[in-house]
Amino acid sequence: MKAVKKPRWHDFVLLLVLILIAFVFLYPLLFALQSAFKSNGEILKNPISLPTSLYVQNFRDLFEQSDFFTAIVHSVLLTVVSEVLIIFIVPMAAYAIDRRPSRFTGLLYTFFLAGMMVPFHLYMFPLFKEMKFFHIFGTMAGPVVSYIAGSVSFGTLLYCSFLKTVPLEIEEAARIDGCSPFKTFWRVTFPLLGPCTGSMVILNGLGIWNDYLMPYLVLPSGKAKTITVEIASFVGQYTARWDIVFAGTIISIVPALLIFLMFQKYFVKGITAGGAKG
Amino acid sequence: MTMQKNNKQKPDLVALAFVAPALILYGLFVILPTISSFYYSFTSWDGISPIINFVGFANYREIFTSARFGNALRNTLILTVFISVFENAIALMLALAVDHVHWGKNVFRSILYLPVLISGIVSGFIWKIMYNYNFGAINSFLKNVGMGGSVQDWLGNTKLTLLMIGVVLIWKGAGYYMIIYLAGLQSVSTDVMEAAQIDGAGASQRFWHITMPLISGTFTINFTLSLINGLKVFDQISVMTDGGPGFTSETIVYLLYKVGFNEGRQGFGTAVGVVLLFIIILLNTVQQKFLRSREVQI
Repeated sequence: MKAVKKPRWHDFVLLLVLILIAFVFLYPLLFALQSAFKSNGEILKNPISLPTSLYVQNFRDLFEQSDFFTAIVHSVLLTVVSEVLIIFIVPMAAYAIDRRPSRFTGLLYTFFLAGMMVPFHLYMFPLFKEMKFFHIFGTMAGPVVSYIAGSVSFGTLLYCSFLKTVPLEIEEAARIDGCSPFKTFWRVTFPLLGPCTGSMVILNGLGIWNDYLMPYLVLPSGKAKTITVEIASFVGQYTARWDIVFAGTIISIVPALLIFLMFQKYFVKGITAGGAKG
Repeated sequence: MTMQKNNKQKPDLVALAFVAPALILYGLFVILPTISSFYYSFTSWDGISPIINFVGFANYREIFTSARFGNALRNTLILTVFISVFENAIALMLALAVDHVHWGKNVFRSILYLPVLISGIVSGFIWKIMYNYNFGAINSFLKNVGMGGSVQDWLGNTKLTLLMIGVVLIWKGAGYYMIIYLAGLQSVSTDVMEAAQIDGAGASQRFWHITMPLISGTFTINFTLSLINGLKVFDQISVMTDGGPGFTSETIVYLLYKVGFNEGRQGFGTAVGVVLLFIIILLNTVQQKFLRSREVQI
């Protein structure tokens, strides 16, 4: 670690430059925030001015003129249900791959990781056909199973790299005490994987929360789908009502922002673990 | 990891039970549709009709001869290279700045990461409004500071459209790569740095001869990641330009989507997807080669 040094003049220059850059990065978000509290007339007349009063009519209109509430419920349900199932399924698979090495699990590791290269756009047409075959096209189950399947690759990478840092001794003690492999995993190992599970839920959950194409194409049309899909459809529909769309964007950003502020370290851990191996 | 020799006579039923749910879902909803897309790429399937006609290599022949695919390929390359170069340059500079700043390291890191949190659709919408010719924040700002001459139809000017979409993606992605670079910079030992400083190496010498070689692995990974992510850009194009004006911002992925869903040619669409997959596999292979050759040197 670096020793604490006395600040010199170039430290002040660097600070000023960073403040400027941070402002540029933050500006589009501030722009969205201020526009959400301005009337449409104000947005058009002077786009860069601050709102003159705390104007909340946009949010009222948003809920009155569209079924945005349903969209919020759908977004929350898709994200929560998928993540709960992912955390039930993926760590178990990674555990078997890391702790019970054999030719089978070795091949499986390669097989799972290969999926990271396959773009969703390649297989979406056949996927939808398959969903129709299983009668889950047009239901919430369609995106959920697809999100779980799509999380296996990155999840295996993340959990396998983390499992290498978890000591074996406690598991072995549990096994000697007659604990079944299933119980050993859930009672002994899984609680130790907390930080990894945090990273997985947060990074993967953010992807689902922000996803557009899957819910847009799979969920039934004629009704509200998810927050992201609603915002995209507003852009086409209410070309003249930017105020309403900005209110929607703020509602979509706030939950992600709160989660980020509360669980920052998990973001950093997950990204670096994912980046470490590509 | 120590490889234990497993008993050959019995398959590991416990391991099988543990991996079964993941294996079944991944097999059914990732691998099976991927494999069947190879099959559909040789058909004239429209996505709805139960009758699927085999057309041999016709889709691939069309891909490599049609002007529309050529245009989409060109757009994709411009967008992807633009994003990757600037995203990495900016992310690395941000990481160095955040690593060296005396005050508020965590605050800066968080702020620069914020754009990563928002969805592609929302980022596209915000910038679309900022770019707007009559009512946008950018033109309004330019007029206010007396640079009215630079006022543009940022997305409508076909020379700028792709780059303006690229700017949104760089803004949204740089914070992500910055985090990975920051982790890479932790591996640069301060002892070596101080020794070099005592020996009289200047800041730029230290950067090019110590920092860069030590984080070259991180650089290779980030560059490949941003190339692959650049190839897959969809949401911003969909909300900002819908591939237009004309075909100016139609990329491979956008072409795939449009022919598949708007023009009812999913057979052709999957063939485009297969070509995309091969481009991604190629990029990954090149990355692995690069990483290996570096490992040998160190």
